[in-house]
This record gives sequence, C-alpha cells and structure tokens, in this order.
Amino acid sequence: MSIWRDIKGTIEPFWITLRNMFRPVVTVEYPEVRTELAPRYRGRLILTRDPDGQERCVACYLCSAACPVDCISMQATEAEDGRRYAAWFRINFSRCIFCGLCTEACPTMAIQVTGFFEMANRNPLETVWEKEELLVDHCGQEPDYNFYHHAGIGVAAARGENPGEDKPVDVKDLMP
Amino acid sequence: MPTLTIDNQTVIVAEGGSVLDAAIALGIVVPHYCYHPALGAVGACRQCAVTILEGSQKGLKMACLIPAEDDMQVSTCEEEAVAFRAQVGEWLMTNHPHDCPVCDEGGECQLQEMTIGAGHGIRRYRGNKRTYLNQDLGPFVAQEMNRCIQCYRCVRTYKDYCGGEDFGVMGSQQRVFFGRFKDGPLESDFSGNLIDFCPTGVFTDRTNRFRTRSWDLQQAPSICPHCSLGCSILPGGRYQELQRVRAGGNRLTNDSFICDRARFGSDWNNHPKRPREARISGEKVEFPYALELLEERLEKLVEEYGGETLRLLGSPRASFEANLLLKKLAEKYGAPAPYYDAHPRRAFAARMAASIPSGQLASLKQLRESDLILLVGVDPLAEAPVLALALRQAARAGARIVALDPRPLELPCDFEHHPLTQESLLRGLSAPEENELLESLRQQLETSQRPVLVGGGELLGGEGLRLLLHFSESCCGSHDCLIFPVLHGPNSFGGGILGATGDSNRNLIEDLENGNVRALICVETDPAIEHSEPGRMQLALSRLELLAVFDHLPTNTVATADIFLPTRTIYECAGTFINNEGRMQAFDPVLEPGIPIVVTGSGGHPPRQFETTPPGSAPRSAVHLLQWLLKDRNDLFGLRRQIIKELPCLRDLDRLAAGDNGRRIADCGDTLEESRTEIWAQEGELQVLPITARYGSDLYSRWSQSLTSRFEEPSVWIHPVEAAERGFVNGQKVVLRTVVGHFHLPLVFKAKMARGRLIVPCLPGTPLEVFTPGGLSLPCKIYSEVDNA
Ligand code: SF4
Ligand code: SF4
Ligand code: SF4
Ligand code: SF4
Ligand code: FES
Repeated sequence: MSIWRDIKGTIEPFWITLRNMFRPVVTVEYPEVRTELAPRYRGRLILTRDPDGQERCVACYLCSAACPVDCISMQATEAEDGRRYAAWFRINFSRCIFCGLCTEACPTMAIQVTGFFEMANRNPLETVWEKEELLVDHCGQEPDYNFYHHAGIGVAAARGENPGEDKPVDVKDLMP
Repeated sequence: MPTLTIDNQTVIVAEGGSVLDAAIALGIVVPHYCYHPALGAVGACRQCAVTILEGSQKGLKMACLIPAEDDMQVSTCEEEAVAFRAQVGEWLMTNHPHDCPVCDEGGECQLQEMTIGAGHGIRRYRGNKRTYLNQDLGPFVAQEMNRCIQCYRCVRTYKDYCGGEDFGVMGSQQRVFFGRFKDGPLESDFSGNLIDFCPTGVFTDRTNRFRTRSWDLQQAPSICPHCSLGCSILPGGRYQELQRVRAGGNRLTNDSFICDRARFGSDWNNHPKRPREARISGEKVEFPYALELLEERLEKLVEEYGGETLRLLGSPRASFEANLLLKKLAEKYGAPAPYYDAHPRRAFAARMAASIPSGQLASLKQLRESDLILLVGVDPLAEAPVLALALRQAARAGARIVALDPRPLELPCDFEHHPLTQESLLRGLSAPEENELLESLRQQLETSQRPVLVGGGELLGGEGLRLLLHFSESCCGSHDCLIFPVLHGPNSFGGGILGATGDSNRNLIEDLENGNVRALICVETDPAIEHSEPGRMQLALSRLELLAVFDHLPTNTVATADIFLPTRTIYECAGTFINNEGRMQAFDPVLEPGIPIVVTGSGGHPPRQFETTPPGSAPRSAVHLLQWLLKDRNDLFGLRRQIIKELPCLRDLDRLAAGDNGRRIADCGDTLEESRTEIWAQEGELQVLPITARYGSDLYSRWSQSLTSRFEEPSVWIHPVEAAERGFVNGQKVVLRTVVGHFHLPLVFKAKMARGRLIVPCLPGTPLEVFTPGGLSLPCKIYSEVDNA
C-alpha cells in the first residue's frame, strides 16, 4: 500500500516540473528586463512641489502620525512669509512597509508614492533619507493642487485674494 | 442636588449645575463652544441644543442655559436637536479658512472635535468666505482671525476674568473682530490664557509656533515653579526640549488660569548654557566619579574637623523630598540642620508661614469667595500673579480690597491703596491699636463675613507675618480670619516646615565668615544671587575648602564650585512642592533629560547617531544624588512613607498624585513664638527698597529667553513730591549710592508709591541684578548726574 504512495510521490514532482516547463513564462530577467508596474504601485516616497514650484509639505506631522511603523520624523518651522515648512524631514526606508498610508493622510499632496523600489543597500544608514533626497522638482501625480490657494491665511496669495474669498473686512466700518 | 435623566441615564449634579454639566458628567458629548466651566454659560454659540422632554421648560433648548431640575428628562438624540446642531456646526464653518494642517491648535482643537461631533463634514455653502486682517499682538500670542467662530470666550477670558483693558470685541454684523484697538503687545500679565480658552486656533502660542503637534507632545501634570502659589500646569515637550506650558486645572488653586510668566517662561529648561555634565574644579568628569569623590572628601573632612564644619543649603526651588534628604544628610554627618533658603529673612518668613495653624490658612479658592481682602506688603502681579486674578474674582463678586504697600501697586480690579513704607507697616502691625488706619480696618474685618489677610513674606519678613497673625487674631474673634502668606519660591513653605526646629537666628553668611565652616553643599540654589548681599556672599564662598553644588541653572556659583553635579529640573523628575497655603502637590516628569535635538542637529537634521554620551550619564535628580550619598534605596513612594513617619502633619503625602488637587497639611504644631529683632529705619530718612519685578526677578525667569522682551528698563522710582523737594525732574539721570554699589539710573515718578522711599526693581542682566528683594530697605544717597560730576 504505502509502496504505491511512495512511488507516486517520487514521480509526481517530476511530472509537475515537466508539465510547467512548457507553460508561458511569467517572470522576467530582472535587472536586464523590467516589468511594467501598475500605475498605483507603491514604491519609494517623494516630497513634491506645488505648481508654483514651492515645497508642498507644510510639516503638519499627519503622515508621521498615520505611519504604522513610525518611520517618518520631521521638524516644522516658519518662513519669513508665514509659510510653514519642514526644517528637516526624514524617512527611514529600512522600516517603511510601503503601505502608502502617509500619502492618504497628507492634506497637501506633498508626500507621494512612486514606482521606484530599488533601495537595497548594505549600509542601513543609507536607507535613511533626508529632505534633500526626498524633495523632487515636480508635482508628482497631482499637477494642479496648491494647498495655500485653498487655505485662506494669506500665504501664497494676500489675505482675501484666494478664489472664493471676500476682501478683508473693515472692522471700523459703520455701514449696516 | 438635582437628579435628572439624560438619554435614559440618571445623574446627580451640583446645585446650580446646568443640563450641559450633567451631560458632561455622564460623558455624553453635547457639542459646545461658548460654555467653559471657569467662565460659565452665555448661550452665544447656539451649538449645545438638546430636547427637554420633561421639565419646567420643554422642547429644543440650549443645554448650557437650562438649570438642571429634579426629575427632568432630556434627550440629546431627538431628530430636531441633531439637525439643529448639525446646522449650527455648518454655519460656524462657512468662513473657516480650512487650514488645519498649518494651525497649531490642530489635534487639540475644540472646533475640530465639536464640528465632527455635531455631524458636519463636507462644506456645502458656495458663497465667498469672509476674511480679516490679523493684528500683531506681541511676542507671546499669535492671531489668525479667519478661524474665529464668534463664541466670545476670548473677551470673557481677557476682559471679564483677567481684567485686561486693551482687548475687546469690535465691529458689527459680519465684521465682528476680537483684538486690540490697534496692533501692539497685549498688556495683561495673563494674556496667554487666550490660547487655552479660545476653542479655535485664533490665538496660539507664538513662542511655540509651528514646533510640534499635540499628539506628539510628552505631557505630564506638574506644578509651576515660578512663585509660591504652586499653580497646576501641564507642560509639554518633545525631542528633549520643553516646548510649552498650559494651565492645569485645580479648582482649589488656579482654576484653569496661569500667568504669562509661567506660560512663556519655561525655556530655561533648554537653556544652551545649562550645565549638564559633572565637573570637578571646572573640569568635566563622569558623574559617578564626582559623586564618589564628593563622598570621600566629605568623609575625610568630617573625620578630621568634625561635622560642625559642614553646612548644607537647601532651596525653595528643590522638591520637598530633596530638602528632607538634605536634613538626613546633615544628621548622617553630624552637621547642623540645613538652611532652606539662602536669604535669612525669607527663610524666617517661610518658617513663620509654616507655623500658622493650617485651619487659618486660606486657599486661593477661599480668597475668590472672600468679601474683604486686606493686602499687607504684597504686590500680587510681581510676587504671585494668579493671586491678582483671585482678587479680581472676589472684587467681581462684590468684595472690597484694601492694600497697604509702599509700591505703586496695580491690580486688575478696583482697590483702595494706602502707600505706607515698609517700616511704618511693620511698626503699625506691632502696635495696631495706636494706628488709626489699622484700627479702622480691624473694625471692618470684624464685621465682614469671610475676610482674608494677605501678607507678603518678602516685605514683612517672618517678624511681620507674626505680627499679622496676631493682628488677625485680635480682629476676628467671632469668626475665622484667614491668612494667605505669599512666600518666595514653590517650596518655601516646605522649607519652613523642615526648618521649624532649627535656630532661626543662624545666618549662613556669618557662619561662613567666621571661618568655622570648611564645606558647603548647595542643592538647587545659588547663594550668591539669593542672599541679600551677593558680593559679601561671593567672598565668603571663596573661603570654603569644599563647595559642592547640585543644580541645573548656569549660575556663577555652579561655575566656581569645587564639585558640581548636574540635576534634573522639575520637568524631568517627580517630586512634591508645598505651596504657600500649605498644600502638598506632586509633579511628574515630562521629559527625559538630554540635549535637545535642535541643539544636536543645529536646527537641521539631527545627527544619525544620537548617543554622544555613555548611557547613564544624563543628569540625575537631586533626590537621587542625595539618596546615593545616604545609601537610601527607597523609591519616591517609599521615601514619602518614610517622611510621613517623621512628620505626621504631612500624613496625606503618600496619597498624592500629580494632577490632583493636592492635599493640605495638617497642623504641624504650635505657632512659632520666637521673634527676630529687626531694626526698622525711621521715617524721614531716604531709603531704597529693592523689589521683585514682574518679570525676571525669580531665578527661572532670569534664564528664560522668551521673557526678556517683558523685562523692564532699569530705573529708580520716586514719589513726585519727594522728587520736587529735591529738585529732580521725571526721567532725569541720577546716581544712586548704596552699600551694594552705585548706579546711574533714570528717575521715574510714581505718584502712587510711598513717600520717603526710592524703589528699584531687581532686573537680571542689568546692574540692578545685585539687589535681592526680601530684605529691609537700605540707606542710600541720590544725586543728579551733573552734581555728582
Ligand atoms: S508608506 Fe507606510 S510605512 Fe512607509 S512611510 Fe508611508 S505610512 Fe510609513
Ligand atoms: S502629511 Fe504631507 S504636508 Fe503633512 S508633514 Fe507629511 S508630507 Fe508634509
Ligand atoms: S477669537 Fe476664539 S474665543 Fe474669541 S470669539 Fe473667536 S473663536 Fe471665540
Ligand atoms: S501665579 Fe505663580 S505659581 Fe501661578 S502660574 Fe503664575 S508664577 Fe506660576
Ligand atoms: S455652549 Fe450653549 S450656546 Fe454655546
């Protein structure tokens, strides 16, 4: 009885291998050949700029709060014109699990995923990326959004000059 | 106490409570903005609608305005009320700038929470948003008016509660604006409360602008170290930096309000010069080595010359536990009992305050409820700012406030001021029956219901406080006349309890000068600044064989110490302070000690490797260092139990928890009957009185960089009549000669101060820092600069 099982067990794997040898190939010869990534593939993160070329990130700490593995840290600060930005911004990619939750949390569309994934490295410290390395020169997947044109506190446009805003009121006006 | 039912849950609320109070007590969220427990209800925001099913008023009502009644039935989920709240929430948001990501309130914003709580999510209104221009309100408070929802809490806080006069509501209709008439720094010493009380991000902390998010902050309930009132605070920090202070809530003391000195004066904790490494004769060493060396040298010294040559100096800044351990250390080495304040007059005042029967000590809450308050030798805004707020609340409820003080007092309420000199005050108290004013006040105190006498330890000294206690006994035979002593530091009272058994006439400086002392250990104090004669003290200190200092401030004494050990600040360790009303209050650590990341990274990315120091070398608390010397292995709780065994009047100490209301000490014993002889100058001689300035005179404000903008210009104050007699004009440059030096200062006329006196505020970083308040007035000479030349 068991001898039949043993014989079957010896032959079957060969048969499976043989059968699959004639099936179409699904893998590619990476790195010579590269596969087409899905448009929503979640790879390495970038910090994008708004259409005016300014840094989009306002250092609101929402991405770092959303990140399940706590790999984002930053320090907010204020520019001359009242713009809030990150004095420093650091992502530890050896911890990142590329879940994309940070991008969902980001209210300014600053942090975005890309299709870049080749980050293997022998030195763990080199997988810690700073703001200079994360910041790119384009808008990423959101070419039109500019946070400060929606948040009416007079940073990108003067107070009351954004679309959908009235001119600042004259407090001392006595008109009804 | 009415019992009512809300959403089928029954609750009992205090007499006078509202339906909203009842809902809050049950944990049912009824969105609300304009109501605040400390301010009361005005029904301005219309957000708290509920349905009253049974009760004297039925239907849709504002929960904050309806007093709770017995057998009331309330529902918060009736369709009509839910829709009403959602509608109001939506209205309030029509003009909101949608800038939460860049708003410092975000994450702890009542508007965020209550808008979601009211059921509003997506903006439907398509009209334009109203906008405002902001004002520059000075270095403490930032304004972003576009976020305002017109709840009026700010005006009720700033004007009504705190008595500020330069802020209010302006405009009409869609133009209602909350601010000053024109740009400029807010004048009130309580302006920071706007930040806590505004339910939106209109007012935020400028000193902490864009630095952190509430969810990232490490916070722990603590006690304010800036004066003796011990207000409860909630400090927060991050990245090893103390970043902000908010008011805690203790309805028996500060009741959700703190002063600006406390709120904006906390960055001394991160001072770049803060000493963080142990040093031996100025050389950095590992801290265990310094500690062992200290023990070795102490033992050798005691063996050779005996324990009497060792002196220990505690401090009103150090926790009660640390001061107590110092006493044990003295016992261990056979040294005389420690001093608990380097300033002998202040120390005696603390001892006297600690000996007042505890039932006779008023709390700030009792002060707010008083009907006649007599301030004797105390300037609330300088010595205990939140006391001024309590006075205002009493005055608003109809109390009369009478002040006897040589300084040109200002208070945020109406009061009667009698500018008497320090000496005539003391003389008057020593024979009140001969003094017309005191005699008439005595009669008024007798007829009032809940009188409180506030005595300033700094001006009156222990002797004055003793006289005040006698005065109170003489005038309040039929009912209690409570006393509210104002002392120097957060734990002065604790030092007073510990020092009660010692000899009050011992004086550190005399001991040092007569050469019998070879070693001195200072715990969190700088005798050279705290003593009334800094120059003399420095000289005396230099004669010591061994000066050991445990501290966390960059003082001169730290720099000259033979052995220096860094300690943790109150934000970095746990402990207890006993405030001026004899209330023991615990504080918890907020942060781990360490160099802030802004420093290690010079503002940019922090270095990849954080540890530059070996583990375990971070500063230890003074309690830990003293325990090491004493070989005491108790934890804090064990230590407190041990304290209770020795000092039964502190019997509730082990039941304290940080953030609670604290517990009053029980009677520690009989009233201290000893007195100290003080020679009070005669009227007529021109004398100079150094006083505490509103900002900068306490050691913590002195090292707090955010407060420097509030420091006054150095000047000498004089009564205009006095000046006219001598031919001086206002603003003239004069030369003031005193025993501590001579000073070139502008003369400033103050019409409301006492005659026959000059007043100088003690200001750090100016030549006037050599003056120490807390003594008697000093003889002086004054010339105009021209004559002098
Ligand atoms: S992708 Fe996920 S793990 Fe990576 S930084 Fe964003 S939130 Fe964190
Ligand atoms: S959530 Fe977006 S804007 Fe906020 S800190 Fe992260 S990247 Fe910057
Ligand atoms: S400024 Fe703040 S407290 Fe004042 S009315 Fe506006 S939202 Fe209310
Ligand atoms: S009154 Fe005194 S204890 Fe209270 S917050 Fe101000 S400085 Fe601190
Ligand atoms: S809280 Fe009741 S109306 Fe504002």
